Amino acid sequence: MSSEVPDDLKYTKSHEWVHLKDKVARIGITDHAQSELTDIVFAELPEIGKKVKKGDELCVVESVKSVSEIYAPVSGTIIKVNEKLDDAPETINESPYEDGWLVELEVEDDAEISTLIEASEYKGLI
Amino acid sequence: MVKQSPLHPIHEKLQAKFTEFSGFEMPLQFSSIKDEHLQVRKTVGLFDVSHMSNVWITGKDAEALLTLTTVEDASRIAENKSQYTAILRDDGTIIDDTIFMHLDDRYMIIPNAGMDQVVTDWLNKQAKNHSLDARAENVSSQYVILAVQGPKSREVLQKLTDVDLTTVGFFGCQKITLGGHEVIISHTGYTGELGFELQITPAKHAMDIFEQILKIGKKYDIKPIGLGARDTLRLEKCFLLAGNEFEGGRTPLEAVMSWAINWDHEFIGKDALLKQKEDGTYQRLTCLLCDEKGIPRHGNEVLKDGSSVGVVSSGTLSPCLNKGVAMAYLNHDAREVGSTVDILIRGKPVASTIVKPPFVKKDWLATQEQH
Repeated sequence: MSSEVPDDLKYTKSHEWVHLKDKVARIGITDHAQSELTDIVFAELPEIGKKVKKGDELCVVESVKSVSEIYAPVSGTIIKVNEKLDDAPETINESPYEDGWLVELEVEDDAEISTLIEASEYKGLI
Repeated sequence: MVKQSPLHPIHEKLQAKFTEFSGFEMPLQFSSIKDEHLQVRKTVGLFDVSHMSNVWITGKDAEALLTLTTVEDASRIAENKSQYTAILRDDGTIIDDTIFMHLDDRYMIIPNAGMDQVVTDWLNKQAKNHSLDARAENVSSQYVILAVQGPKSREVLQKLTDVDLTTVGFFGCQKITLGGHEVIISHTGYTGELGFELQITPAKHAMDIFEQILKIGKKYDIKPIGLGARDTLRLEKCFLLAGNEFEGGRTPLEAVMSWAINWDHEFIGKDALLKQKEDGTYQRLTCLLCDEKGIPRHGNEVLKDGSSVGVVSSGTLSPCLNKGVAMAYLNHDAREVGSTVDILIRGKPVASTIVKPPFVKKDWLATQEQH
């Protein structure tokens, strides 16, 4: 069973995806990650305005059996979180790249974007 | 070294996601933990629980050995009856919780996964120390245990045997022919639903019976169920899980198993328990229902008015209630039913109410709307 890996996104080795538009990074977890977690029943999202450094814990996503920390792929300030996940955390499973996005942050350092990996390299990892 | 169930190839075909539990690679889930959980509460599910252990106790002093080493007086358990009990150390702490079944002139006990040799050795040591003509034999590798649980479980199994299963009373056990093979059936389970467990040897008979049950149960939409749902099902009913509720340091009084203790006989650990009972200030297992969003987990601290009053032993999201539920050991003076405590989940306090067990009552299904 192969996972979906859209070509127009960037990725991390820890299974986050990043969509960049101007200085805003929209972040979520990949299809591979959501299928490993299985039914997500709870998503604990960060406060708006919180500053995170690349590699910091960004948020936590829980299945019945496990707790998964999601890490910030780039440094920045949280400007938006996906409130839909409050009542419907399973959206992350159903639509990991679209309706199931987690947070948006304003990117602090453009240089960090080059540390993200391309779809082709991510495909090779999973 | 991780062992696999003899039914592993069947689970692979059913596309199970596997997990490691007590040295065994077992199915965690086949579809989704929530779906499998609700399936068992609403109709019927089939579990492979072959990671659990099987030990025969034989000899003319078999009954005496069980009486000595468990909190039950085994003379009270008639033939074709079983009993849930605990095996204790001298200091009163639980080595293992288990069911023992009285069959003919012998007993079969079902220790937890990974505890087979520990329990076998302990029983044989006590038999020797007390000059009892009794022997414990570890036959775990020869047996496969299946569980069929849910409101339709008896109907499903009835199709595979001529024995009237309504005659196998609650906690009854007997040897019967099921699906063309000899099995030990018991009216027992770990889900709180109507259900039966089957001890089967050899493994190839168990594989055949597993497939037969799935086939015959199709009309009830039977599904295979993994360990993930097994855990959420037992937790909703506040049943203990070895390794969570006791990890070598808890007594049956602390685990609120006192209903299973028969005080009218001598048993290993009795003196320690009597002392603890008299003292009365021990922590006790308590049921907590989260009032706010959050999923409690083993090890979370419990606070009352800012001070620590205990620790979570088991926690999860209840699929039936859609709320966090936890069993926690709380100080004896901080566990009034109806009062509120905070469970510290990743540093954040989540308000929870102390409730009487079980979390999900017997009438849960009746209270659900029909779709």
